[in-house]
Amino acid sequence: MTKGVVLFASNNGVTNYIKQAKFCADRIKQYLNLPVTLITNQDIEKKYDYWMNRFDKVIRMPKLMQNQNQKRYFDGDLSNKILLFNNGSRAWAYKLSPYDETIVMDTDYILSNDSFLQCFEGASDFSIYNNATHIGIHDGTTEFQRISDTSIDFYWATIFFFRRTPLNKIFFDLIKHIEENYMHYRNVYQFSTPLFRNDFAFSIAIHIMNGYQTGEFANKMPGKKYYSIDKDICLEINNGNIKLLTQKENRLGEYTAVNISDCNLHIMNKFSLERCIDNQ
Amino acid sequence: MDTRLEKALDISNYMVTLNNQKRLLKEKYKENLVHYYNGGQFTVKQELISFCQSLSALSQTETILIDDNDIPVEIENLTDFLTNIIDTYVQASNAFLVDYNKLKTNRSVESIMDI
Repeated sequence: MTKGVVLFASNNGVTNYIKQAKFCADRIKQYLNLPVTLITNQDIEKKYDYWMNRFDKVIRMPKLMQNQNQKRYFDGDLSNKILLFNNGSRAWAYKLSPYDETIVMDTDYILSNDSFLQCFEGASDFSIYNNATHIGIHDGTTEFQRISDTSIDFYWATIFFFRRTPLNKIFFDLIKHIEENYMHYRNVYQFSTPLFRNDFAFSIAIHIMNGYQTGEFANKMPGKKYYSIDKDICLEINNGNIKLLTQKENRLGEYTAVNISDCNLHIMNKFSLERCIDNQ
Repeated sequence: MDTRLEKALDISNYMVTLNNQKRLLKEKYKENLVHYYNGGQFTVKQELISFCQSLSALSQTETILIDDNDIPVEIENLTDFLTNIIDTYVQASNAFLVDYNKLKTNRSVESIMDI
């Protein structure tokens, strides 16, 4: 059985996701010692040939899966930009992954321990997080609990594990179907944003696979998922130690200092993450 | 600003930071308490240790335990399992104690950030 990690990276002219992927791949080697495959829309051989050796394999993203949208990206509380982003469905991971057992990870997921190695030991053929811990004192964000107030449980497509099984093929094909008929599912599952979100597509697909109820199709990923939102600011990444400022709720421009160590952290503020990577 | 208020706000800010760090330490402790065995996931609590010890005292050498995901897992060697979960518990608790002691001796936001 081959094992590895797949990363997706699509530059948008401002955020350099390839740079993030290189940083992420280095940490995967450090903590998990697994091969890394990069799936990208960039001509990495020409533009970033000096980073090629960080990846075991680079796959050019098919045009079909490039789904460009616009999104407002914050850099702390007081600064934001509207940028393009390509959130082509993670459903392609099943078709494109060169491994029998694959962990798919966003490039802004900063590994600081080896807990994901337990995925390969577990009985579950598909694992994903459906809850996560915010690094700040205000932990009541309903946005990441259910896909809308009247709808189903939220699952994070940021990171997941799957084995190449016939059941998982059906699951990933279902996600493609949901993506193609997104407006229909938006009405059925009653969420307001018309923007395609992988998290929502995965949440809906899991709900359907479970017989339109809560069930056991998806197991929980090992370890804990911590996250900081884009209004939080990452200050420093020093091996397993990460220093951040987290936004104070209802207090514009005020922050609380946070020091977190040996925990896997999803950093949504791409600008501050890039600054930290540059300071390495 | 009135210096009395300024000093109080400094303490207030410190307390928010300290409480948040304590919360994160506790979350990390819970994560470190997890023991993986034979495809199963077990959060090591005092009850699990006591239960395994009771089985062992009754000369049981193997058993079935229900893991955190409600999956039954066969424990083929109860003695080894018990040793390992006690080890997980001790290591996680020690790490929690060390981190907690470091945290409580730091009296400013700056020193908490430098831990």
